[in-house]
This record gives sequence, structure tokens and C-alpha cells, in this order.
Amino acid sequence: MQMPEPDQAVIDRRETICRDLRELVAADCVIDSVEGRRAYDADGLSAYRQLPLAVVLPETVQQIAAVMKYCHSEGIKVVPRGSGTSLSGGALPLADAVLVGLGKFNRILEVDYANRCVVAQPGVTNLAITHAVQADGFYYAPDPSSQIACSVGGNVAENSGGVHCLKYGLTTNNLLGIELVTIDGEILRLGGKHLDAGDYDLMGVMTGSEGLLGIVSEVTLRILQKPATQRALLVGFDDTGSAAKAVGDVIGAGIIPAGMEMMDGLAINAAEDFANAGYPRGAAALLIIELDGPEIEVNTLIDRVAKIMDSAGASSLKVSNSEEERNLFWAGRKSAFPAVGRISPDYLCMDGTIPRRRLPDMMVRMASLSQKYGLRVANVFHAGDGNLHPLILFDANQPGELQRAEDFGADILRACVEMGGVLTGEHGVGVEKRDLMGIQFTEEDMKQQQRLKCAFDADHLLNPGKMFPHLHRCAELGRLHVHKGKMPFPDLPRF
Amino acid sequence: MINVTGLDDAAAVIADAMEQQQHLGVQAMATKAALGRDADYDDVINVSAFSGIIDYQPDELILTLRAGTPMHEVESTLASANQMLAFEVPDLHKILASQSAGTIGGVLATNASGPRRLTAGAARDYLLGFDAISGRGERFKSGGKVVKNVTGYDLSKLICGSYGTLAIFDEVTLKTLPKPETNISLLFPCDDLSAAVARIAGIFASPHEPNAAAILPQAIAAKAGIDVAGAMLAIIRLEGIDVSVADRAAHLLAAHKEGVKLDNDASTALWQQIRDVDLLAEADGDIWKLSCAPASAPAIIATLFDQFDFQFFADWAGGLLWLAGPSGAEFGTAMRSALAANGNGHAQLIRDSGNSKNVIAPLQPLSSAHYALHKRVKAAFDPRSVLNFGRMHDGI
Repeated sequence: MQMPEPDQAVIDRRETICRDLRELVAADCVIDSVEGRRAYDADGLSAYRQLPLAVVLPETVQQIAAVMKYCHSEGIKVVPRGSGTSLSGGALPLADAVLVGLGKFNRILEVDYANRCVVAQPGVTNLAITHAVQADGFYYAPDPSSQIACSVGGNVAENSGGVHCLKYGLTTNNLLGIELVTIDGEILRLGGKHLDAGDYDLMGVMTGSEGLLGIVSEVTLRILQKPATQRALLVGFDDTGSAAKAVGDVIGAGIIPAGMEMMDGLAINAAEDFANAGYPRGAAALLIIELDGPEIEVNTLIDRVAKIMDSAGASSLKVSNSEEERNLFWAGRKSAFPAVGRISPDYLCMDGTIPRRRLPDMMVRMASLSQKYGLRVANVFHAGDGNLHPLILFDANQPGELQRAEDFGADILRACVEMGGVLTGEHGVGVEKRDLMGIQFTEEDMKQQQRLKCAFDADHLLNPGKMFPHLHRCAELGRLHVHKGKMPFPDLPRF
Repeated sequence: MINVTGLDDAAAVIADAMEQQQHLGVQAMATKAALGRDADYDDVINVSAFSGIIDYQPDELILTLRAGTPMHEVESTLASANQMLAFEVPDLHKILASQSAGTIGGVLATNASGPRRLTAGAARDYLLGFDAISGRGERFKSGGKVVKNVTGYDLSKLICGSYGTLAIFDEVTLKTLPKPETNISLLFPCDDLSAAVARIAGIFASPHEPNAAAILPQAIAAKAGIDVAGAMLAIIRLEGIDVSVADRAAHLLAAHKEGVKLDNDASTALWQQIRDVDLLAEADGDIWKLSCAPASAPAIIATLFDQFDFQFFADWAGGLLWLAGPSGAEFGTAMRSALAANGNGHAQLIRDSGNSKNVIAPLQPLSSAHYALHKRVKAAFDPRSVLNFGRMHDGI
């Protein structure tokens, strides 16, 4: 992965920059020792590491603004970081960039039941929002698997999902307002406790912008009443095609479960070895289908779904009759990643989405790719929305295996796009999928996206090297094409 | 009027307009022409021909169609598979004095969302991807045709509610959802607006999953044929499978003894009147739409009643206020000050009964910092201000 050429002149000024930053924040909030910076050298995509130029941990929004203003005026790049759990390298440092950590923004500012929302600083963890309101029967719906650690500011940057987003949506569908600090140090509020602000939906654009447009300094999140009941079905199938069809049949019957997960044979057995969840070892595919809501509704729908599974040819079926049992059903799925980690020294987790009906084709494709690359692949899917998480097993100590695993992953993502899907369903592009953007988007698609970037950050100082394979200068992107042999408005100054 | 049949046509028209320094209006059925500012255009580009369903996969929850497809066609297509657009598209033709609900493109361009917006999200939450031509005359696409996607910037959000000022879209992909089997409304008389907002908040803190909540003053409820014992009527809608809706209704009525139940057909009819603002269609004066924090509604309404004679009702649990009152700048100006004093929000003039638009901005004015950013975003898509220039804000 090629990152932008670091600016040696900036690196040479490191000491001065750290001294200047100490004027803007408390002295101990600037980390410039090698050991101190080492703690920030990677995020959840740990195959890539880079020491940041310096780490700054502001404590107030004014300090974020001051740091941004300083970096902007000095032409220094900035990489924002929440908890550093990105799986796509969104918070990967750059050698010539100041890493702005939001770890000190860890307070919940307001719980507002009258308006059913929570106002929080961006460094608060996802799960802490639910913890703050659960005694009163509320919760925050998006539940990325890293929710004990990931920050809500990071959730906004990545538009995080989770196993329940089939019914409850991604971060973008649960966000009411943000406060944002732009690269030139301006503090803007977008949205609030009301819905639909009525101007350009810049909050919607900020969500999932991977730290390229601004730093989120406060969030207002919608909270929901916790469903009265949750029950799950654990359903085995002898072939993945029938399992995939069963998922479509549930939705076709007008039922939107809270979550519908699928695992393939290798994942089932790895998870069962790890968690003893009672998974059917011989099955080729396993579905976990969770329904939530009023008790009578859940019980009725459980029966309907069970009938659908029977007709679809399920080879085994269990329904949870207690919270312990439901949690056990999930225990295997939730430990799928560490479980796979036990059967292989290393693994790469991919994140494409396909139209669900293509799942059987995708399984065939993956099996043939697995043969081609000589690497095993275990599959866990958010089956309800067609979001795949193939885990490619490899050994980084074997020369060439990391490269082979990456090539295998890239081929899977190419297949996703070819089948009508997309490169990433919830992990983000970051550096990981940056060079694959051209598979899904034309050069013109990406240029238009970068023109939006230019409206927020004309000098490409915020998180450069992420999301886009080629950085175009904003002046170049702004140029208009020649039409009928001449430029429009020949007398106007060009920018 | 320039009729175009596809994006390539539109590209040529936009390129010409750039050359000739023209501003173009963009329209299909023009049912929402009354929304936004009255801007002066050199010509109008008509995209009515961008019509038709392209692909509908009910069990993938995906509908791909052209943006100029009329809403009635969208709705009948979805009904064939017992599905819906969950954001509940309002049909404002009565208050806008237009012929119909218009096209899906107009709905998306104005981010028009009805009562279920409170719990299910707005139009912007259901646009998954689109193909468009920018104001630069260049084709681009964004998003995709699957329900879960975070690849690249989410331009679907930006394009929704941008009133055609950034790009002209053609093919759009929407997320659909199954229609609920049934719905029931529960009606609770309340002494005043505060009590109604609090009653609704209490029900939203229960596990009975209401999915819409409106508040009608006595006189407005009478227009819907409902006799109310109190000054305000709080209305809750429950949707879902029969047994669940009946069970939840029974629980809520046991806890709130004075409640009254409206069954499926009557409930559907009532919510359609709320959604389409039929209840204010005969009111005199301007009609405004105000988006606020739900708990702020009583203070905002009280402030306005101190100064004006007007009619109103609330949707979105108090977070959406529809007001019919005096024409001119004062009413809207007072709304915007009341919003600023009560946690902010957005007040938009929907029906101009006189010449209010000449004296007050129909969309909530932007702060200077927001305006500057909006202007840069506009320039990123439409640097020569070809498309619907000035429709939302002066200079944008």
C-alpha cells in the first residue's frame, strides 16, 4: 500500500511543531516521544503501521479548532482518531501528519428522554450510550462488534453498522446532530434535536466520510425503547443455496428480523470448537435469526419463520426459550473472529455487499478462488442485507502469503461489484480498499466525490491517502471541460 | 422549455447553458414549484421523460426506477408486492394547489417525508444510490443497489433535499419495506399541548412501539370528524401484525383509560389527512412547516399565540408543526426567533398566500459559516450556477 510521499520539510520541523502545539493544548496533551507515539501507530487494520509526526489530545472543542487552524495555516496534515478500531485503516497515521486523538472527549453531556436523544462527546464508546440509558429502558441501536471499545465519533466517521442494522439502520439513520470542526478551525453545528434541517444534508455527508471532511466534536444520537422480547432461531442447512433462499423467503413474507446472520461450514466448526454453542457441526450453512418486539409478536413471528425454514429444507432448527439460550446462539457468532484466529495464525476480514440472491454464486466463486490462491476462507455474513465477511486464513510468516491473501480479498471484492454489489458494507474504504475504488466507480464518479472534499478541505490536509486512489489537486478538479472546441466563459478567470 | 429524454441529452443542454451563462430551472410535473424561492430562470429543463420502473426485487427490498416516475405508479408497483416506501410520502397537492403528488424525483429533491419519518427515517434514509448529471454537465453515480453500503461519500444524503440545485438525477435506487398488516390509532384527550407532548413521550418510553404520533387541537380534530373532550387530542399509531397491534393497543388502553381506539380503515384515513396536511387546506393565510425538538413545541406555540392568530397541528410527536397564519414576514420571523430561543430547528414557508416570499426567505436562512460552506458545496457540483440557481437560498 503506497501512502502519499511524506513532506520532509514538515518532518524536519517536528520539534517546532510540537512546541507550537503545546501552546495550544496542555503540555502533557502533546505526545512526541517515540514510545508514546508507538501506541498510536496503527488501528484495527494492524498489518499497516506508521509512527505519527506527533499526537495531540485536545480537551476542548476550542482546542481542536486551534489545532486545526494551526495545522491549516502551516500546511500540516491531520489524521483524526477516535478509539482506533477501524478495520480499514481509517486512523492509520502518516509520517508527516499530526494525529488528533479524541480520547479525552469521553463525557456524556445530556440524556434527554423528552426528546429521546443523548448528547455525547465523540470519544464516548458506543456501548456507553446504551449503558447511560438502559436503566430507563432505552438503548442506542447501532451495535458494531467493537462496541465496547469503538467511539461514537468514529462511528459517525465510518457510518458504523452492526448485526441489528437490518431493522434499525446504520449510524446515519440514528444520528440527529453533530458539531463539527473544519480544517480551518471553524466550529459548525449540523442538525440538533430536531429532524431534517432543511438545508444541504451536510451531516449525512459527514457520516461515513472517514475523517476526510472534518472532526466531529459532539454527537446527538437517537435512543429507542428497548424491545420487550428478543428470541432467536438457530437453523442448519445442508447447502448454502437453500439457506440463502430461506433468508429471501423470510423477507418476502414481509418479516424484517432484527438480525439474520449466516455462517459457512468452516466458520461453524471453528466457532463451535471455541464457544460450544451447540451449532450443528455437519451443516454447510447456519442461520441465526433474531426477532424482537412485543412478546406476542415475537412468538407469532418465530412460528412463521420456523415454518419458512422447514419449507426451505432446514436440516436442524432450534428456537431460544430463554435469554441464556439466545445468548448461547450468539456466543458462537460473536466469537467467530477469535475462533478463526485459533485455527490460523492470521486472517484478513473482508466486507463486501452483494444482492442477497447472488449468495450461492458467490459461494461457488469463493471456493474456486480459495483453490486458486491455496488459502482457506471462512464465511460469516450479515445475510439479511447481503453483507459478506469472508475471513481469509493465512500465515504472515510464510513469504508471500500476506500478498496472496490480499489478492484473494481483492478478487472477492471484484466479484462483489461484478454481481451488482459494493466494496464495503460497513468497515469503510480507508487504505485497505482505497486502490479498489476504481472497480466500483469511474474516474468521473471519484472526481465528483473529491470535488465535495475540496469544498471542505481544499488543500487535502485531512486524512489524505485514505478512500481515494488518486489525489487530484482541487484546482485541477475545478477545471471545466472544453465544449464545442472552446472553454465556456472564455473571459472569466480560471481557478 | 427544453424536454430531455436522458442524461446525455441533459449534459448537452447543461453544456450549452454554461456557455451561454444561462440559469436553468429543473422540473418534471412541477407539483412542488411553489416550494422554495421564486427564482428567475432563462429556460426550464423538463425531465418528465425520465420515467419508468427499471428493476424491482421485493425480497431484496430494492426498487430501481427513473426519477421522473409519477408517485402513483411507484405506489402501485410497490403495492403489487405488498410493500411501501416507509418514509410515507406526503401528497401536498391540496395545500400546494397542484395536480398530484408528483414524481419520486420531486419527493427526493425535497426530502418529503410523512408521519412515519419519526420512527422509520426520511426520504434521505431510503435513497441507496443514483445516476446523475452534475451542473458541470458530467455524468456521475453514487451509492449502489444494495441496502448496506459505505463505499465513498454518501452523496445520496446530500442530493436528497437539495431542490435540484446540485445535479439532475435519472436512475435512483430506493430501499423498500413490507407494508404492515394492519394499523390502529389510539386517541387521548389532553388539557393542553404540553400535556399532549408529555403523554406521547410517556408512550414512547413504553415497549409498545408506536410508530407515529400527532397532536390535533380540538377545532382541527373536528375537521377530521373527531369530537374531543379536551383542548388537544394526542394520537398514537400502532402498526404491525394483527395480534401484536391488538395486544399493544389493549395494554395502552388499560394504562390510559380515557383512550379511544380507531381501527384500521378509520386510522388509515386519519393519518392520510395528517400526512397530506388536508386539515389546514381550507385555512386562510400562509402555511408554514416547522421542525423543532419535540419537547420545545409547547413553548414555541405559546410564544406565537401571544402575537398571532393562527391554526396549527403537530406531527412527529411534536417535532413537526404545521401552521396556517397571517401572510407577510412577521409570522415566519417570529417562528424563527422562537426556534432560536428553544433549541433551534427549521421553519419553511410551504404555501404563500400573498407575496410573503418577497419579504421573507422561504427556507430557514443559513448562518454566514453555513452559507459559505453551502456555496462551496454548490460550486463543487454546479460551479456556473446552471441548475435551479437561487431556489433554496439567494446565490445558491
